[in-house]
Amino acid sequence: MMHTAMITPASWIVPFISGADDAHGHHGDHAARVIEAATAANNLGWAGLILWLPLLSLVLCGVCAARGVKSKLPAWITVASLAASFFVTVGLYMQYDAPVTIHLFEWFNLNWSGGSFIAPFALYVDRLTLLWMLFVTGLGTLIALYASEYMEHDVGKGYTRFFAGVSVFLFAMSALVMGDNLVMLYLGWEGVGFASYWLIGYYYTKPSAVAAAKKAFIVNRIGDLGLALGLYLIYHAFGTIQYDQLFQMFQDGSAAAITEKGGWSVSAIPFLLMLGAFGKSAQIPLYVWLPDAMEGPTPVSALIHAATMVTAGVYLLIRMFPVMELHSAALPTVAWVGGLTALLAATIGMAQFDIKRIMAYSTVSQLGYMFLGVGVMTTDAAAAHVFTHAFFKAVLFLTCGAIMHGFAGQLDLRKLSGLRHMPGWRIVSYTMGYACLCLVGFPFITSGFFSKDKIMAEAFVTQGPGFVVLGVIALLTALLTAYYTFRVFFRVCMGPKHYEPGDELHGDDPAHFHPHPPRIAINFVLITICLGAFLAIFAVHKFGFLPGGDKGYAWVKASVIGSTGANGVPHGHHGETAFFADPHKWMVLAASTVTIVGMLIAFYFHLANRKAADKLRASMLANPVTAVLPKAMENKWYVDEVYHAIIRAPLWVVGHACAVFDRYVIDGLLVDGTGRCPRFLARLFQPLQNGVLQSYAVSMAGGIGLVVLLVLLMPRLLEALNAVGGTGG
Amino acid sequence: MTLMLLVLIPVIAALGVIGTPRQHVKWVALIATVINFLYSVILAYAFKGWGEGGFFFVKSFNWLESFGVSLGVGADSVSMLLVLLSTMLMPLCVWGSFSAIQTRVKEYYAWLLVIEAAMIGVFIARDLIFFYICFEFTLIPMYFLIALFGSNPMTRVRTATKFFIYTFTGSILTLAGLIYVAWACASQNAGVWTFDIGTLTAFAADGGLTAREQGWILLAMLAGFGVKIPLFPVHTWLPLAHTEAPTAGSVILAAVLLKLGTYGLYRFLLPIVPDAVITYGPAIAVLAIIGILYAALICWVQTDVKRLVAYSSVSHLGFCVLGLIALNPLGLQGSVLYMINHGLSTGALFFLIGMVYERYHTRDMNEMGGLARRMPVWSTFMVFFVLASVGLPGLNGFVSEFLCLIAAFTATPDNAAYPGVLGPWYAAIAGVGMIFAAMYLLIMVGKVVFGPLKEPRRHAHDHDVVTLPADLTAREIGVLAPLAVLCVVLGFQPGIVTSAMEPAIEETLAVYPERVLAVEEIQTAGAQSSSMTEVAIDG
Repeated sequence: MMHTAMITPASWIVPFISGADDAHGHHGDHAARVIEAATAANNLGWAGLILWLPLLSLVLCGVCAARGVKSKLPAWITVASLAASFFVTVGLYMQYDAPVTIHLFEWFNLNWSGGSFIAPFALYVDRLTLLWMLFVTGLGTLIALYASEYMEHDVGKGYTRFFAGVSVFLFAMSALVMGDNLVMLYLGWEGVGFASYWLIGYYYTKPSAVAAAKKAFIVNRIGDLGLALGLYLIYHAFGTIQYDQLFQMFQDGSAAAITEKGGWSVSAIPFLLMLGAFGKSAQIPLYVWLPDAMEGPTPVSALIHAATMVTAGVYLLIRMFPVMELHSAALPTVAWVGGLTALLAATIGMAQFDIKRIMAYSTVSQLGYMFLGVGVMTTDAAAAHVFTHAFFKAVLFLTCGAIMHGFAGQLDLRKLSGLRHMPGWRIVSYTMGYACLCLVGFPFITSGFFSKDKIMAEAFVTQGPGFVVLGVIALLTALLTAYYTFRVFFRVCMGPKHYEPGDELHGDDPAHFHPHPPRIAINFVLITICLGAFLAIFAVHKFGFLPGGDKGYAWVKASVIGSTGANGVPHGHHGETAFFADPHKWMVLAASTVTIVGMLIAFYFHLANRKAADKLRASMLANPVTAVLPKAMENKWYVDEVYHAIIRAPLWVVGHACAVFDRYVIDGLLVDGTGRCPRFLARLFQPLQNGVLQSYAVSMAGGIGLVVLLVLLMPRLLEALNAVGGTGG
Repeated sequence: MTLMLLVLIPVIAALGVIGTPRQHVKWVALIATVINFLYSVILAYAFKGWGEGGFFFVKSFNWLESFGVSLGVGADSVSMLLVLLSTMLMPLCVWGSFSAIQTRVKEYYAWLLVIEAAMIGVFIARDLIFFYICFEFTLIPMYFLIALFGSNPMTRVRTATKFFIYTFTGSILTLAGLIYVAWACASQNAGVWTFDIGTLTAFAADGGLTAREQGWILLAMLAGFGVKIPLFPVHTWLPLAHTEAPTAGSVILAAVLLKLGTYGLYRFLLPIVPDAVITYGPAIAVLAIIGILYAALICWVQTDVKRLVAYSSVSHLGFCVLGLIALNPLGLQGSVLYMINHGLSTGALFFLIGMVYERYHTRDMNEMGGLARRMPVWSTFMVFFVLASVGLPGLNGFVSEFLCLIAAFTATPDNAAYPGVLGPWYAAIAGVGMIFAAMYLLIMVGKVVFGPLKEPRRHAHDHDVVTLPADLTAREIGVLAPLAVLCVVLGFQPGIVTSAMEPAIEETLAVYPERVLAVEEIQTAGAQSSSMTEVAIDG
């Protein structure tokens, strides 16, 4: 019964929404897709401007800082150079027809007889690069524009520092995405980590911000070590770390030969790279830094910790997809980590009250979906979700920022209500509403629906250890997502008008507080990105009724197929079934259902009958058995505390033990002890010098005796010494 | 063009300083060091050894002819780079001391100049005895710099004495080992003694020393060079000496004097006792790795900023040694580059700590915090050099750390061109040091630079003749800026250094690939035979 009930409505929907690429695509084409070999392009040196423009902006911001500029000049410099960088990217996209490498200058260039280690400062441009760079520079420009208004309280204080940080970030991110080798990727990788450190710690007088910045950098460093070791292993096994040469080896089969005799050192590569990706993209076990990173100014959260930097892990896995296939357990691991992270973060997000933190956990959760996508071999859907998520999550953070900005730092959803009815807050409310719909994947009218759907469907389709369970987890997470997202929206934007200001009053009297609605820069950016979130539908889905298209695929899918991640794109479908039918068909219905159910629950508890929610919570807390659950969720399942207890505290103890050992054992006992030996020996013989003639005579006799003994025993002694030396040498 | 002048200029200037009126002393010292730097630049310009192997500017003056001792000088590209590092840092050290040193100025600058002469002497010596004299002579000025200008009048003499005796004891053993090499060489050459380093290394390369002899010589060399580097567990003099020494003393210690140890390993250990290096390389690498992690953990719990940076040197130099023991071009180039980079970034960190110390007379992290608010320029430099030290890509520290680690990683027996004796595990464990480095340095920055402002009371000390403004003066910025520029340049163009020394490195390594394979064959054969005996016993 369930079977037919699900198929019937879905079967009329599917032809409507699905395009050439999905259900009716390239059947039976099982051969690995070809990664096009990159050629060196000498005439595209201007593409380097994508990197140099943010760097120029950094230098100019530095000049502003040195001259003590007290205007919005740094913001305009940054916005202008980022916009220019975006247009250069668009220009590169127009020019593009096949993968190219663009050499900028020599960086690592070590040659010796019989080997070399070469990592030039060069760009590798394929469709994946362009996809990423377009939204990175585009959103970067818009968010910098937003920040020009958002950060205006700090003009003349930290304003320049802020925009310098944004410039550093864009430079590093471009290097990460565009680099032509793994060392450049690593440069960008650590560079964005540093920019993140810089910007999270922007309010540096606040201890929590400093701690969060430090935590982000250190946790990321753990992932970075994995990435570095993976890089070393790749160099060790394949002798190169340049993409074009590396992927050429995977094309012509020479990599397969190496893999066969490589043993553990080859099969460890995907797991080490994965560790790097988990760090940067905030997945279990390294996700703990991202929620704390919300200490940074909100535009930073939107740009770095939602839209761009945190997707670097997904980029890495798609870019290195052929390498990820070196061990058969690697991709399933990615899928499981992604799926579990999605669920865990969603459960934490449900119980938080700080709207920015909820968004942070939702980012972790959505990143989990992306990893799930890569893990179940649908890199195109993962990339599509990265793309759509970048837009709608940016809007969500930016609206949170606008609220925070307007209500003196207030972020508690219990203390804000009915924003929709307040003058000047319309645009914020409606853009937030649409972004929320995207996040939960509301059917048909949101881009998030199309991207998330494909990942969930593919989890049921792809063969793998427990992938069906993962699909169920993904559906469950979708339900939770719908609930916590609309919990925020219904509480903050809908309902009766009510607000309490936060604690950043800047000297205003709390009794006479009036919210400051956003002005033109913020509103313009919100609308633009929101429009982008809508239009992204057409980038991630190929509609049957629309003509043209990109080689018959949706734009994002075509981008992934034209890149090194091509092998992760599924080849058509063969009537796969799970739960009696093709998941591609019934997923539309299943996903829509859970989403709407989640939204209805949120509607009941947080708009229609808010008291019921409070009552439920109170009754759960009253019972010691059920109280565990909301408490644990609010306290983030105590993961930070566990990490502290099993990692940080023991290390701290070991550190102190080492310090004590160094001071008292190595330096005190061994070094100073040895130093005291001569004095001690002197004391031993001191009584001999007592001025009594007889005792001198005795010691003289003793001395002569000793000498005679020595002379007699010398040959023996030498023999013994030689024997000792023989074993030593 | 003579290298000897590089040693003579500071010596003459040191004598000149004594006869100069007190108020002009610092200028004389500054001019002398600048002249020496310019002269070294001219020499570097005329130097033919960039990208070539072998020694240039070779000169030998007779000294004690009957003993085969001469004043031989000469430089290969590695020596020349380290000479440039020293001559470049010296003017900064002198300039950076202008406000800090107000008493006994003549002695202070004279000793600084003497130490410059001794350091350069070490790098350009081509005669063993001359090398050793210079090597030891660095101790005397440093002894006086610590004993007379140390920060704590109660303990500085004791610290200086400990520093002196500790390093002296070690290097006496090194001298014994080196003389043994000369003796072995002489006994082969019909009793004609020579201390020419080139001759001795050629003698050793031809297999002049048995494996057993090499083992003992290796031990002797490690006794001296290991203490200097310093290797775990003979490192404890360093935090003491660093913490006590005046700023310029710490800078010189960290930037150049520690490099005398690694330079010693490069110049003597690798060419003279190759078989022993192959046999005991893993053990040395293990010591280096213990040093990396152990010192990093100690850094983590320090409250004295200067002590923290001092321990970080122990940790960092571990990477440098690891690169050397990797026995491949990547590692050696990375290691020499590490010597330079560590000199720049850690030297700068000591300058920065000195600048704060001059203002607040404390180095305790619990007493100060949030200085970014009071000293934005200082804080910017501090964060910059910390990042260089952490190994942020784009700055210099990354390149050398990366090369040392990848070298250790690929130094496996099956490496085609340069088989080695280490492997992935060495690099993986040492790599944890990267995480620790981020931890202790960022915690330090988080406490001192960021957070709420916490300023120690500015004591009015009697000798504070110069009152300094809250933030850095133009002079202090002038001291730091060249170092910062070099950090960026070497971060993006490491090829300036690495390609310059490639052939010299390959010459040093030439004897290795064959011998590593030979040693490994013996070992596998040994393993097989022992397993065969086991089988026999079982049978």
